[in-house]
Amino acid sequence: MTPSWKSWLIGGLVVAVFGAAIYFPILRRRVKRAARLQQQSEEQARRELTQPIAINPGDPRVKTKVFWVSDAIDSTLAPVTVELPLSNDPVLRSKQVLNTLLAGPVDAELRTLPPDASLLAFYLLPDGTAIADFSEALATSIPSGIVSEQLAVNSITRTLEANVPQVQRLKILIHGQEVETLAGHLDLTGTFVVNTKVAQEPGKPTPTASSTDKPALPAAAEKTPTPVLATLTADEAPGKLGQTESRP
Amino acid sequence: MVLDPAHGGTDPGARGTGGIRESEIVLDFAVQVRRALELQGFQVVQTRQGNENPSFDDRSATANAQRGAVFVTLHISSTGLPGTARVYVNSDLPPVGNASGLIPWDRAQAPFLGLSKAFGDLVQGFLAQRFKGSPDTSQSASVRQLRTTAAPAIAVEISSVTVEGRADLDRMAPGVADAIARGAAAFKPSYIVPSAPGALP
Repeated sequence: MTPSWKSWLIGGLVVAVFGAAIYFPILRRRVKRAARLQQQSEEQARRELTQPIAINPGDPRVKTKVFWVSDAIDSTLAPVTVELPLSNDPVLRSKQVLNTLLAGPVDAELRTLPPDASLLAFYLLPDGTAIADFSEALATSIPSGIVSEQLAVNSITRTLEANVPQVQRLKILIHGQEVETLAGHLDLTGTFVVNTKVAQEPGKPTPTASSTDKPALPAAAEKTPTPVLATLTADEAPGKLGQTESRP
Repeated sequence: MVLDPAHGGTDPGARGTGGIRESEIVLDFAVQVRRALELQGFQVVQTRQGNENPSFDDRSATANAQRGAVFVTLHISSTGLPGTARVYVNSDLPPVGNASGLIPWDRAQAPFLGLSKAFGDLVQGFLAQRFKGSPDTSQSASVRQLRTTAAPAIAVEISSVTVEGRADLDRMAPGVADAIARGAAAFKPSYIVPSAPGALP
């Protein structure tokens, strides 16, 4: 190999190394962007599959109270009023308000539930007990801790309480299963009291609600079918663990 | 006094961006709380000494096997104002019938809720003096660990694993230990130990 060939070869290699050094970060960015786009489209597809409850524009628009965090540091809940066309059917209505809660507020720091969590199913039994089945992300993506887990559950129970008077108690399932805790702290084996306003049973006085700062029900909510009779005691407050199921 | 450093083993609990693991920090906190309690003359039992992860029921069983025990479970949160501490007592549970004299295991905390609240308020009061921004009184929450514990029982949660370095949490340990020990000493005269042992499994 002649010296001129050698210098051409070395020069070519140097150019290739420099080219690779410049191109590699660009390539890495492109791969990351492609992965992110794929993730987003998967998330979108999952949401479309798991949240088939479309808002019907024909439904009356009502002021809906959704409970998110009022202050990221203080960790307290505050209602945010949004106008939504809500169904009068309590199950559809519950799905609509919970999906709104899951979608989160404008400021992502104020959300109470993980962005990748979704509502898989919602049932309402004749005695006013609701069963909400959330995806596994609710348990796996939530920040672990008593305060964060309690905020999550309270935001669910208080949003239901403010908008769906038929729901008296709530059982939370994760991916169709009963779990012991949400993320290591908050007990999910029992039911949470949602609505302390017990329906007026014939011949029975209505107990006084213990909560003094109970949010008023929206006008449309009051027009919804009569709530199913429930047997709650007056001293139960929203978000507290209610009657535990019989356990082995 | 039964001290419960939460989590452990394969369960690290809350994790901070700087590699802080709740399970490790609460174990170190427990050492200091234990020392402060022993200085007050209390006998102390821990639910775990190392990196094990006993079940919720196993931890409760440690307390329920003692007569006249008081239970404290230690936690570090993922959120909340850093440098503050909150005390939790279990939410209301349906009352238990006492026809048989036995307490159902899954609601063992029910007869002790009043005592837990009194103990929790005392500890929270001392924590509030030490750590500004902490609540003045204890709060209620459905804490799984407390439900099966047949003793005055509280959860103490420190905020949080989001601090810049572990040293910020380590600096809180003496104050937390002192508050729990002073709370236990103040609570002791009002705790009349029941004649029967705790819940039976």
